[in-house]
Parts: sequence; structure tokens; C-alpha cells
Amino acid sequence: MTDDASEGDLAARRGLDDAVVYQPAEDSGLLAEAAVAEARGRVLEVGTGSGWVAARVASERDLDVVGSDLNPHAARQARDRGVGAVVADLLSPFRADAFDTVCFNPPYLPTDPENEWSDWMEHALSGGESGRELIEPFLADVGRVLAPGGVVLLLVSSLTGYEEVLALIEDAGFDHEVVVEESFPFETLTVLALRRA
Amino acid sequence: MKESLMDVICCPLDKATLELDVDDADDEEVLAGTLTCTECGETYPIEDGIPNLLPPDMREEAAA
Repeated sequence: MTDDASEGDLAARRGLDDAVVYQPAEDSGLLAEAAVAEARGRVLEVGTGSGWVAARVASERDLDVVGSDLNPHAARQARDRGVGAVVADLLSPFRADAFDTVCFNPPYLPTDPENEWSDWMEHALSGGESGRELIEPFLADVGRVLAPGGVVLLLVSSLTGYEEVLALIEDAGFDHEVVVEESFPFETLTVLALRRA
Repeated sequence: MKESLMDVICCPLDKATLELDVDDADDEEVLAGTLTCTECGETYPIEDGIPNLLPPDMREEAAA
């Protein structure tokens, strides 16, 4: 393979990846702001997508950041940004007490099951009928991977049901405080810091 | 992946320790290889520097 051919392949691959990977938006900006302020120690970003948030935390705080995503195209984009990337289902391949900071901007849009798109972008956006289909298993397992004294930074949209998410947080044994909050025409986005109660 | 990632990953099925076999690496990272669970024996590929730690049933679904 010549250098030209490999560069062409790379460009084509990046074009494909962009089409099927969630790109940074308002929610990403808000989570990055909170994570840059609060992150410490060893950091995991679950559902890292393009890796933009993880890369900002790594560069602005000089921390060791791992980015995981179900979508292999996303893992490639995150790696291209210099993030240590892993293809994973939520927290399943991470050890107990492994991380001091865990960040998550979950797929949170409530979706009619008949209108689900069954592709990578749907995985990045849809939180199932309730909007909380990924938030529930995440909260049920995140205490396991969190080191003593660790913090979880979770982005919550008003579309997902703020009070319902707070109830799940309490059930999982965490206290919460608001780190940043911003209102948009159709939703309010909040980043919560969760610490063991 | 950096070898230091081994400190934080485990088998997604039984949370047991993984063993790293390196096929290709540069100065900083493992580029290709295999992670094998020391308990259940399940293997997970590392390709282009990225370990795929999905459980086997999800790995096949995700490739489709």
C-alpha cells in the first residue's frame, strides 16, 4: 500500500465515523465544563462518543483519561483525539475501585419503540421509552468501579425526568449536588456531582 | 492501549483478571493483541490499539 492510498483510506474512514458518531453539542460543552472543574485522579468517560469531553479533561487537567463506548467508530474517533479508548458496554469491563472520577452524558431522549432507528446514532441518543434505560444500569453499577472518595459527573436533561433520576441516584446510595445548569428552549441540562452518601 | 490500562480493566463476564498477549506494539502502546480471561478463558481482541471488551454476544451484534 502506498502512502497516498493509506491517507485516502484514512479520510474515508473518518468520513464514515463522523456519520455514525455523536459529535460535540451543548450537552458535551456543559459536561466538559463540569469535568474540567471537578475531575481528579484516574478518569473514565462512559459513552465518550467523539472523545471530545475526555480529550478536554486530559489536556486541561493533565489527567489520565479512559474513554469507553459501545460504538467502535466512536472508540476510533476518541483514540484519534489521543484518548485511551475501549469498546465496552457501560461499566462491565472495569475493575472495582478503579476510577476516582466517572463522567457520563447518557443517551437520554425518550423514544417511542416504534420509531427507534436501530443504528449507531440511535444508540447515541435514545434512552428508550423512559429516557432512562441506560441511566438505570449505569447508576446501579457505578459504585462498584468508583474508588473511595470518588465522584460521578452525570448529565441530566429535563426531558429525561429530573426527579425520577434523583430518585435513582438516591437508591444507588449517592448524594448529589448541582455543578452546572443551563436552560435551552426545549430542555434544561444539569450536570450533577454524585458522591457516596 | 497503554499497558497501564491493564490496572483498570477486567473480564466483562466474571470481572476476573485479564492476561495480555502482545502481537504488535510501539514505544508507547499495544497496537494489536489478545486479552484472555484467567478465569473463564474468553478472549478479547485488541485491534488498531483499541481493546474490544464487549461480551461475545454483544460483539457480534455490534459488528453487524
